[in-house]
Amino acid sequence: MARDQGLPMWLGITYAILWWTTQALIPAVIGFGVDAVIDKDAGELARWSAVLFGLGAVQALTGVLRHRCAVYTWISSAYTTVQLTSRQATRLGATLPKRLSTGEVVSVGNSDIAHIGNAMDIILRGAGALVAVVVVTVIMLSSSMPLGLLVLIGVPLMALVISPLLRPLHRRQHAHRDLQGDLATRAGDIVAGLRVLRGIGGEQVFADRYRAESQRTRAAGVRVASVESLLEGAQVLLPGLLIACVTWLGARFALAGDLSAGELVSFYGYAVFLIAPLRTLTEAADKLTKGVVAAKRVVRILSLEPEITGGDAQARHGDLRDEESGVVVREGVVTALAAATPEEASAIADRLGRYSDGRVTLAGVPLADLSVEAVRGHILVADNAAALFAGPLREELDVRGHGDVEAAVYAACAEDIVEALPEGLDTHVAEAGREFSGGQQQRLRLARALTADPEILILVEPTSAVDAHTEARIAERLAKARAGRATLVVTTSPLVLDRADHVFYVEDGRTAAEGTHRELLTASTAYRATVTRGEDR
Amino acid sequence: MSRQILPVADKAQVRAYARRLMVKYPKELSAALALHGLAALTGLAGPALLGGLVQSVADGAHDVRVDTIALAIAGFVIAQGILTRFAVYASSRLGEKVLAELRQEFVDRVLALPLSTVERAGSGDLITRTSRDVDSLSRTVRHAVPEILIALVTGVFMIGALVIVGPLMVLPSLLAVPLLWISTRWYLNRSGPAYLREGAAYANLTEGLAQTVEGARTVEALGLAGRRRDRTDDDIRESYAAERYSLSLRTVWFPSVEMGYVIPVVATLFLGGLFYLEGWVTLFQVTAGTLYIQQLVDPLDRLLSWIDELQVGSASMARLLGVANVPDDRVPSEATPDGDAIRAEDVRYAYREGHDVLHGIDLDVRPGERLAMVGPSGAGKSTLGRLLAGIHGPRTGSVTVGGASLVELPLAELRGQVALVTQEHHVFKGTLRDNVLIGRPEADDDAVKRALEAVDAWEWAEKLGLDAEVGSGGTALSPAQAQQLALARLVLADPHTLVLDEATSLIDPRQARHLERSLAAVLDGRTVIAIAHRLYTAHDADRVAVVEDGRISELGSHEELVMAGGPYAALWESWRR
Repeated sequence: MARDQGLPMWLGITYAILWWTTQALIPAVIGFGVDAVIDKDAGELARWSAVLFGLGAVQALTGVLRHRCAVYTWISSAYTTVQLTSRQATRLGATLPKRLSTGEVVSVGNSDIAHIGNAMDIILRGAGALVAVVVVTVIMLSSSMPLGLLVLIGVPLMALVISPLLRPLHRRQHAHRDLQGDLATRAGDIVAGLRVLRGIGGEQVFADRYRAESQRTRAAGVRVASVESLLEGAQVLLPGLLIACVTWLGARFALAGDLSAGELVSFYGYAVFLIAPLRTLTEAADKLTKGVVAAKRVVRILSLEPEITGGDAQARHGDLRDEESGVVVREGVVTALAAATPEEASAIADRLGRYSDGRVTLAGVPLADLSVEAVRGHILVADNAAALFAGPLREELDVRGHGDVEAAVYAACAEDIVEALPEGLDTHVAEAGREFSGGQQQRLRLARALTADPEILILVEPTSAVDAHTEARIAERLAKARAGRATLVVTTSPLVLDRADHVFYVEDGRTAAEGTHRELLTASTAYRATVTRGEDR
Repeated sequence: MSRQILPVADKAQVRAYARRLMVKYPKELSAALALHGLAALTGLAGPALLGGLVQSVADGAHDVRVDTIALAIAGFVIAQGILTRFAVYASSRLGEKVLAELRQEFVDRVLALPLSTVERAGSGDLITRTSRDVDSLSRTVRHAVPEILIALVTGVFMIGALVIVGPLMVLPSLLAVPLLWISTRWYLNRSGPAYLREGAAYANLTEGLAQTVEGARTVEALGLAGRRRDRTDDDIRESYAAERYSLSLRTVWFPSVEMGYVIPVVATLFLGGLFYLEGWVTLFQVTAGTLYIQQLVDPLDRLLSWIDELQVGSASMARLLGVANVPDDRVPSEATPDGDAIRAEDVRYAYREGHDVLHGIDLDVRPGERLAMVGPSGAGKSTLGRLLAGIHGPRTGSVTVGGASLVELPLAELRGQVALVTQEHHVFKGTLRDNVLIGRPEADDDAVKRALEAVDAWEWAEKLGLDAEVGSGGTALSPAQAQQLALARLVLADPHTLVLDEATSLIDPRQARHLERSLAAVLDGRTVIAIAHRLYTAHDADRVAVVEDGRISELGSHEELVMAGGPYAALWESWRR
């Protein structure tokens, strides 16, 4: 990812180096200024003051340029991560819910991208800080070897002394972050189930549960703070001691005449200055670690492969046949599938739509030999778990961009829903069709499937949430809307079964009987028991 | 885009809230401030001691006690290090405490949100508030607030030290004040809305990602991949525009502020030097003054950079507090119900102004009866159900239990009276037991078992075990099982009136009928209002209300209505066919 952002990265590093270096030079210039004051040389003082001002101006300019580059790398790495995750989600498709929890993927959007962005940002600042340390060291060595050496040895030594603190800090931060993650999941869970909670009144339980977890997180936060504060203290103490040593040695040299009073001030300034780049370097170690952890999680998601893969054959027109159950979806007719249990029915629908492996053929060719895109384009399985997305309704219904939305809305008996919307089909609908009732959502899903107008349409319980009246109308209109195409309706509704050209009755995974609804009613008692809704117990 | 987003609190509200938080723990706060103050005080010794040294060196004095001075510097540094440690710890602990309270209060506010609002705002906005805004506020409380306090304390001490060293040395730095003041004012006036916009754009981005992830199977089935990618790209574009704008503000502000830091140092050195040449100040004063001014940059910079963060935090805070700004849809009154009878009188209701979906409904629900509501989709059954459960208040007319208006009952009281289960189901993250216990937290395992038995769920629940983790990250339950759980919660909660809105629609029709009958046995004596599309529910009920076009067109027992030969009879016939 760093490579993708070469230019802003390198520019940023350059600016960061300039920025830090000008800061590093400031103590030296102040030292010269103080010497000028001691020498009572007003002209010299004015000159050094001007240099100091110039350095300040450069620092201000490079500082903001550095910041701009940092923001660009931050947001572009964040956006790239979101883009990759979103693309991967669309690539994984039906595999995703089987392999990952939603929270895991969404946490990428919520926290991981920030960590990755921070890591990119710190690379910029860290590189500059490193250079600044080198510059200051060189200056110091050239003006006083012993003092320079003292700082040169002292600074890494400080880093070394601080490093044992980092491990417990990271461990506690990790524990804290885990708890925070759990807490966020809990909050997300509450938001997702809010409607249920408000319905039944479990709010207090969840408020209490959240409170307890929140307090645990707080305790973990305090544990982090106890190490963090040690680190803070050490970061004041250790450089401070170094400053004291520098001042002590410097003062002795100055008294001996080896060092000017101004240089003594400069050395004090260097030692103070070094605290900042040193902090940045410590920060870099931390942020890079976090960035790597976040990147690993993203990479894990990105490395998942779709479970279902196919060959490269194209789809041909013909009957779709499931060998295992004996169910055949014929061209030009409405076939219905009534199963003794809903699980059997959905297993068959999954096989026919190639969401799971099975011995299924299309026009005699095994479905597994076809490319997955060809299967998806040819066969559409529409079930009740299908998501409705936010957007203008017309666009959300006409997913393939060339369907007859009005006709599909009519066939799905969804005209009343559209009429009730303020701007009809152009109304922007909210996520997951939340403003619609269950029955309305089901009809909108059906309208969407019909608008897509695939060669083979497999509808799983398309009318389970609508009233009997509407169900009868849908059954009638569906046959007309799908005239000439192949349609399989998985249902136990007698109203829909009665309208089908051919009905399969499946029991224990195999076709137990087939024929028209009326034939089966008389021929199979098991079928009758399944579809008459227990009327005649 | 006409999508409604939850409200955001205004500045005054955020300020008042922040003020209240600040003074909530006076002891902890003053202890932390005192520690930070002491730490800052010990930090002032260095420049003064160095200034003295420089003076002596320049004077050519030979009796300077260098060792003592260096030891003194070391001593102050050690004290500063130790004080810093305890100061940081004290302020962090206080921060964590306040933070925990903030997020808990936020969740409490979310849990008190009126339902209609939640559904309209979309969960993305709320999810972003619960994750990103809580995070960003955490940063503010954990870092920005303490840093600003430290900066203020340190800065004040440093200016004080400067005044003591030589009042004249303060003057040169004043040159920078107008620049700092004006540029910061300019920036802060614009940055608030800019960060709000940034947050909203980001919410959109994560919402889009969440939708893509949740609907991944649908995306594959319908070939929506390209469209979802476009949506991500659009969202990124919008977010980028917002980020760019706030960056452009900082591009002006940052250099101005940095110049504001440089000017005092330069001015102090130059003018201080001239003062020295004039004999107005001593060398000690020039050196120590310059060093103080240079060190003052640090707290000043902390202050200004965290003020920026404070803005981000207050934007988040505004979004968190805003949740409470949703007008409450219930105002508890003193009325207490006298009896269990639910009655609706001349009830009208509109989701959008001017578009009533219920047109003057009158309905007396008899205690203990099973009332079925049937009618075509979109006729207003669900809306009426929600009104009868006290979720919404009617636009006109009243819905009462025992004479007391449902929406005027305190929530806890309402739940004891009437509960609603819809086909909307959610399995909460936790154990199977937890999921049922929502209905009545103090219930024991026997009660949980009986509740699950009542909804025909014990068979699979026993196999899974009550301790099985379900919900996000745990065992996935089917929609039918989730619906059974929802009903089991209700059985456990045991209110005298239950509103079931298509509560069994996702369960296989034959199982559903069995379930409804075993449920009926458990709920004997309770009032049940069942909204159903399956007519056998109506057939099994004591009375049937046919809802058409927002009105009750027929009301009576199944037999009566079939005999009457009206719309219900026609429906029954078509269904029986």
